[in-house]
Amino acid sequence: MTGTTGVVGALGRVNSLVLVTLGLLGLVASLGVRDLASAGVALGACLAFGLLLLPRGTGPAARFLAVVVAVASVAWSTWLLGGHDPTVAAVAGMRIAVLALPGVALAPLVDPSGLADQLGQRLRLPARFVVGVAAALQRFERLGEVWEQASRARRSRGVGPGRGPVGRSRHAASVTFAVLAATLRDATAMSVAMDARGFAAAHARTWAEPAPWTRTDTAVLALGAVAAALPYAVLVVR
Amino acid sequence: MASREVRARLRGLRWRPIGRATPALDDLDLTIGAGERIGLVGPSGAGKSTVLHALAGVLGEALPGELSGTVHVDGAVGLVLQDPGAAVVAGRIGRDVAFGPENAGLPRDEIWRRTRHALDRVGLRYPLERPTSALSGGELHRLALAGALARAPGLLLLDEPTAMLDPEAAAEVRAAVVGAIDGTDTALVVVDHHVGPWLEHLDRVVVLGPGGRIMHEVSPGALHDGAAAGPRDELTRAGVWLPGVPPPAPLDVPASLVVPDAAGPEVAVDGLVVDLTTRGLRGRTSTRALAGVDARLPAGRLTAVTGPSGAGKSALVAALAGHLRPAAGGVRGAPSRDARSRELARACGWVPQHPEHGLLALRVRDEVELTGRRLGVPVDVEAVLGLLRLDHLVDAHPFRLSGGEQRRLALAAALAHRPGLVLLDEPTVGQDRRTWAAVAGWATAAARHGATVAASTHDADLVALADHRVRLGRDPLGSDRATSPGGVVTA
Repeated sequence: MTGTTGVVGALGRVNSLVLVTLGLLGLVASLGVRDLASAGVALGACLAFGLLLLPRGTGPAARFLAVVVAVASVAWSTWLLGGHDPTVAAVAGMRIAVLALPGVALAPLVDPSGLADQLGQRLRLPARFVVGVAAALQRFERLGEVWEQASRARRSRGVGPGRGPVGRSRHAASVTFAVLAATLRDATAMSVAMDARGFAAAHARTWAEPAPWTRTDTAVLALGAVAAALPYAVLVVR
Repeated sequence: MASREVRARLRGLRWRPIGRATPALDDLDLTIGAGERIGLVGPSGAGKSTVLHALAGVLGEALPGELSGTVHVDGAVGLVLQDPGAAVVAGRIGRDVAFGPENAGLPRDEIWRRTRHALDRVGLRYPLERPTSALSGGELHRLALAGALARAPGLLLLDEPTAMLDPEAAAEVRAAVVGAIDGTDTALVVVDHHVGPWLEHLDRVVVLGPGGRIMHEVSPGALHDGAAAGPRDELTRAGVWLPGVPPPAPLDVPASLVVPDAAGPEVAVDGLVVDLTTRGLRGRTSTRALAGVDARLPAGRLTAVTGPSGAGKSALVAALAGHLRPAAGGVRGAPSRDARSRELARACGWVPQHPEHGLLALRVRDEVELTGRRLGVPVDVEAVLGLLRLDHLVDAHPFRLSGGEQRRLALAAALAHRPGLVLLDEPTVGQDRRTWAAVAGWATAAARHGATVAASTHDADLVALADHRVRLGRDPLGSDRATSPGGVVTA
């Protein structure tokens, strides 16, 4: 595609803005899913895109489980409420898959600083917003650690999860609240640290690194746009 | 000193944080000369961090509240917080340090010149692409220091820069600070519970009293070991650690508050291997925290678990508390990862390293009662709170408490139901003398009355109270018992 590098794993070489745009194209494509034909084409394009361009071993495989659960629950409830029509249920499920798969597949590849560089320098979004988003993304992994500590403390104090689903969900709610509270405290500490490094007074901020745009970026984005247009094409042709 | 040009000046400063009835700082005047090095000491809750926040210009901005008086600072300010992890803004060390210069609007080549220079001055000689997540606690402090230095500050502010570090890493951070500002006219204000190792580098020590008033301004010599009493005695009574002053006597905790229903277990750890897994957006990272540890925790003794940062002290304590599944080997006498919550709580009390993670209730009283009520064990709340000097706070929300108060509350919350196995994770880090005495008193009393007690620590005073030791990896504190070191592998 780019001449010097292969097509396989190209998503590992594109910039973070392209990745986020591809995630949003999933939304565009899902809106074009109206019947079995458009659903099949959109989902097929999505899978082909991923299998061909996604580098091997990107991110935790378990994240796709969330998509499977979402698809199954939407399909099931549509079947239940939509007059037990298997076609309607399948289309609803596949629409969710087309919506969620690109974002879920690409999220592990996004580099927060790289995304901020693109949003700030290429799209000229306000620096305060852009840097805040990057800092928040960068801290995402701390959440897991806080979750672990909060659930350990509950278990040690005799208020850990019970065996039943009610006990478990009550426990999950309580830990979630603890994580939210910890996140707020963390956010305060972080804004103190950022302001103390001149962030509050940064009116004409510069960027340490450029926001490069390569031919691979253009090609992958174009391919993504074509893939997102496919379900609409099917609707027009039929 | 009088002839120095003024670098910063606080005049008539008054600050009341939102949600508090009384001001944290009241009518504070402080002048800092160019190149002057100041130590700021005082008891817990005296407002030391708040003075740094005022100088850094974040009061009323990032932190909401009511501010009056004037703050004047000449030039840029660098602030390094107690928890350097909270200050990391980027995934790579170069980009993180570059944050300040970016905010200053500098051209790209100047940003990178300053970034490289700052990293070099703090001795972090890694490639700029090194992930910030791969740094140790001490290295994160030095990264935060580099981030502050990259702004070319005229005033450098350090808030408890070594509280969470082992002695070796703390010495490295101090050396980095001193080396970085040596021969410059950068002024320094450092807040540290253990001011001793800083004294030789300071020009002046400012002593804050309760309510954020300046009680004394003394020369560092007046606080040195062997100096006349006076401020030394007063500070020691207020809970401040000074060089040459022995640790306080552990609090005398009565048997009725700590004696377990049955004698504590004899705990045996054999060939314990534990891997820690962190899940993130980019997948799972597995780190070997313990690589074949053998240890014994005898009943009726206080065992100190020591070792350098990263040796797996916290992991061993968490494994004994039934929170980690062994990859190989095992533990006898302590609850397993499969134990139900109530069984676990009855067998073992675990005080986490960060007290705020262990606080679950909305009132101090409920916090202390919670576990006992779940297990049907009566808890004498009044006696516990009175002993820990939290009795005036019975109805307060646990998160409204100061750091030292939270630490004592977390101790009571985890242990008030008198478990036979007592586990404490770095319980004295960053604490003043009073809270230290409460923690040390509870741990020694529980052991004396039959419980099996273990504390992970790098606090030599606490280690000195222990009557048994388990050492992980290489340990400068010395020990009678060595175990295999914890190695680190990344998958």
